[in-house]
Amino acid sequence: MSNHENTPLSSAHHEEEDTPAVSSPKAGFLPIETNWFDRLFISVVIWVALSLLWFRFMEPIGLSIWISNAIALALAVLIISKG
Amino acid sequence: MQSNRLGWILLAPTLVILFFFGVLPFIYVVYVSFHQWNPFAADPTMIFNGADNFRKIVFDTEFLNSVGVTVLFVLFAVISELVVGYILAQAFMKEFPGKAIFRTIHTLPLIMAPIIVGSVWKLMMTPSIGIIPHYLNEWFGITVNIGMSPVAAFTTIIVMDIWHWTPLVTLTLIAALVSLPPDPFKQAQIDGANKRQIFFHITVPMIAPAVVATVFIRLMDALRTVDEVWMLTGGGPGSATRFVGVHIFKEVFPKTNYGYGSTISVIVLYLTIVACWLLYVTMLAPRNKKE
Repeated sequence: MSNHENTPLSSAHHEEEDTPAVSSPKAGFLPIETNWFDRLFISVVIWVALSLLWFRFMEPIGLSIWISNAIALALAVLIISKG
Repeated sequence: MQSNRLGWILLAPTLVILFFFGVLPFIYVVYVSFHQWNPFAADPTMIFNGADNFRKIVFDTEFLNSVGVTVLFVLFAVISELVVGYILAQAFMKEFPGKAIFRTIHTLPLIMAPIIVGSVWKLMMTPSIGIIPHYLNEWFGITVNIGMSPVAAFTTIIVMDIWHWTPLVTLTLIAALVSLPPDPFKQAQIDGANKRQIFFHITVPMIAPAVVATVFIRLMDALRTVDEVWMLTGGGPGSATRFVGVHIFKEVFPKTNYGYGSTISVIVLYLTIVACWLLYVTMLAPRNKKE
């Protein structure tokens, strides 16, 4: 038994258990398994896309970019907490 | 804990180099992208202009056109390279006379510098002296002039890219195919699976990580293609082959518009990351199990 526990595979298993929370996947409303860094990345991607689209279509009709930033921030909070 | 520390110590030189040659220049480009800066103008100072460069870029028809042309080029080139590369990889898995020589010749384009590839193809495609327009005209009666016809120029660049980069795809896929275990294939044959079923249900899922890695590499390379295109067509005729890389080059060097050029670079990097991420999500990312 003790022999088994000292094998490299068993120690690798313990190392995996000790890894920080960034790599622990979570099942939220997103269609893929994500950790918090994935969700932060998705939020940044959406923020940039939304800002560019806002510059192109919404700002010319008088809507400030800060509205887009507020929407992106709300989406980011939602995605990071529930995604 | 000990192995963690050792891991970080071993990684440290790479991380330091990456930080100075990757992360810092990236941060600098992002910083410059929020400025108006022409170092060769009468006033060479950097002027902070907020997100004005990004406001300008979404209305820049030349840039949007270059993105469209690049996306078309990437789609045609990468898909063709994948298909041709897979067919060649399967051919190289079998024994045939002259296989070693053919494989060496087939790999030669890979070791050529892109600028040389562009020069060679320019010589081959120049009307009156080029071998390709000459034989296309003599055998099929087709007149090809990449300086006049946008379609001919665009098609030639795709063919050149396929010629140059398919060997990379072939070599990667050969490595993936060689490492496949034979047992699932034997079991599928015993169970009566046909070749199509074996291909789609066993081969493709098993080589998917290698295919995605190859597509990542080719996608990133194709999105920043400059030198071959610059040598062959210079982005013309008109803007038919003005890919984003060529557009950035023209914006930064002849116009010395460093601020706006950096903005285009940041947007291209963003598009590259999003394209790779979408590819990863659709092909490899583990699905959420909601039960």
